[in-house]
Amino acid sequence: MRAAVALTISAFAAGGCGASHEHERPATRQSPLAQAQATHEYPSPSPPPQTATAAAHAPIEAIRAFATAYINWDAQTVAADMRSLAAAAVGQARAAMILAAAETAGDYELQRGGIANRGTVEAIAPRPSRPREFIVVTLESTTATNTTAYQGLRPAWHVALATVAEQSPGQWVLSGWQPEN
Amino acid sequence: MIVAGVGIIVAAGFAAAMLALITSVFGQGDECAAPAGAAAPGGEGPGGGIVLGPAGTGQLVGATEYGGPGDPGSGVFGSSGANLLELPDSYAELGGTSFQTATAMGGLPYLTPLRVTWGTRSAIAYKRDIGLGGGPVDGLPRALDLWWQLAGRLGIPYEDGLWSGPVRIERPPDAGAGNMLGQAAQSAATETAAPAAAEEPSACTPAAGEGVPLTGAEHAQRLPDGLAAAPAGAPAAVQGIIAAGNQIAGKPYVLGAGHGLPLSEVAPAYDCSSSVEHLLYGAGLLPNGYDAPSGTLASFGRPGPGRWVTLYANPDHVFMYVAGLRWDTHNAAGAGDGSTGIGWHP
Repeated sequence: MRAAVALTISAFAAGGCGASHEHERPATRQSPLAQAQATHEYPSPSPPPQTATAAAHAPIEAIRAFATAYINWDAQTVAADMRSLAAAAVGQARAAMILAAAETAGDYELQRGGIANRGTVEAIAPRPSRPREFIVVTLESTTATNTTAYQGLRPAWHVALATVAEQSPGQWVLSGWQPEN
Repeated sequence: MIVAGVGIIVAAGFAAAMLALITSVFGQGDECAAPAGAAAPGGEGPGGGIVLGPAGTGQLVGATEYGGPGDPGSGVFGSSGANLLELPDSYAELGGTSFQTATAMGGLPYLTPLRVTWGTRSAIAYKRDIGLGGGPVDGLPRALDLWWQLAGRLGIPYEDGLWSGPVRIERPPDAGAGNMLGQAAQSAATETAAPAAAEEPSACTPAAGEGVPLTGAEHAQRLPDGLAAAPAGAPAAVQGIIAAGNQIAGKPYVLGAGHGLPLSEVAPAYDCSSSVEHLLYGAGLLPNGYDAPSGTLASFGRPGPGRWVTLYANPDHVFMYVAGLRWDTHNAAGAGDGSTGIGWHP
């Protein structure tokens, strides 16, 4: 045990002597900077596990709740709605909702146009051979109180890909959300 | 995202004469019915569910009319298989001498919506058919055939399927939460597509925002010296627009000035359209030789409000909002608003 400790100390000491000695260090002892130069990724600790504030007992329940909230908002509520969705999701879905919340909070034109979106979830189907992935079909209308640009548009069909994760046994949350059109 | 807006102008204190003029073009007409989405998917109800709106902008093209009791040969089913009597908000894309060449508008996919304007009325119509082309209509390329019930709703007289005339067409904005929130898979490609007005995209300058003051605020800020600070988080193209605006802010307004020069040059004076074009060039969105009046800018980009930039244009005037800050001619915020010449306005 004592020999192993001594070896580790000497290896770190060599690492502190500058770049000219880098070639002498084994790969497992690369400094974060050297790793970053080699891989273009600065090593960082793994993020803490995410926990969603709400979970459903079944994947389809989780998807339906998420999708319904995602497509029903108006300019006044959309940022808060997206923040709530972020808290209720994990992974890419959470990141996407945080981004949407940040963008809509400062979206002058969205506010000025009085934009709103309404819709219903029409179908949720498992994606063949892709476990935990689902195809979500919605029927949506976009309206505006201060612009006529959307006037007369029929409700339109939209498709999104949803991925779910089991947060704990029997507790399902959204982990991925990608609107396709 | 750059878009040409068709919204109602609500700037308080805007010159009364101009406000009246512009709302007569952009404002909501009395005949406007239910809001978007009120139309039943099946097209039932008065007018077949076609919702009329005010006149839109967009490109002038030649149109004809088909179907109805005087044109039984057209039948009632579109080439998409749709029953046009049940879905009267329909049009056919025309072109060439065969159905394979019916691509006068680029070969639009079925169900592509278009806002079709005739006179003071407009309606959204969907492609559900294709047809043969023909000679120009009033000197315009013959682009689409309007189903007779749609044409009638627009006020076009029924002439047994023989009517022809000019209409304006434009693509309505992409709707739906994914598009509105910029998360739909197609959004990125759509938003970075070269605008239709830029005929020589390769001649456009790259977006440049070097030297532009930055602010940590969400919106652009008008500085005491009349220049503007761009949001630090704004895309490079937006910062490029603001940088170009700062180049010419405060120049005198002279009707017709600034035209006929390369957009890379700084002219002694500008009018509304030449100044807006200078700013768009600053973002690399127009070629250096571009030169057009304000009305042409009405079809620049995509219709509807933009996330960062919205143009408001008609044949008499054009102005724009960039990151929440208005670029316009003098006194745009009302007489005595403190501004001189062209520039940024609160």
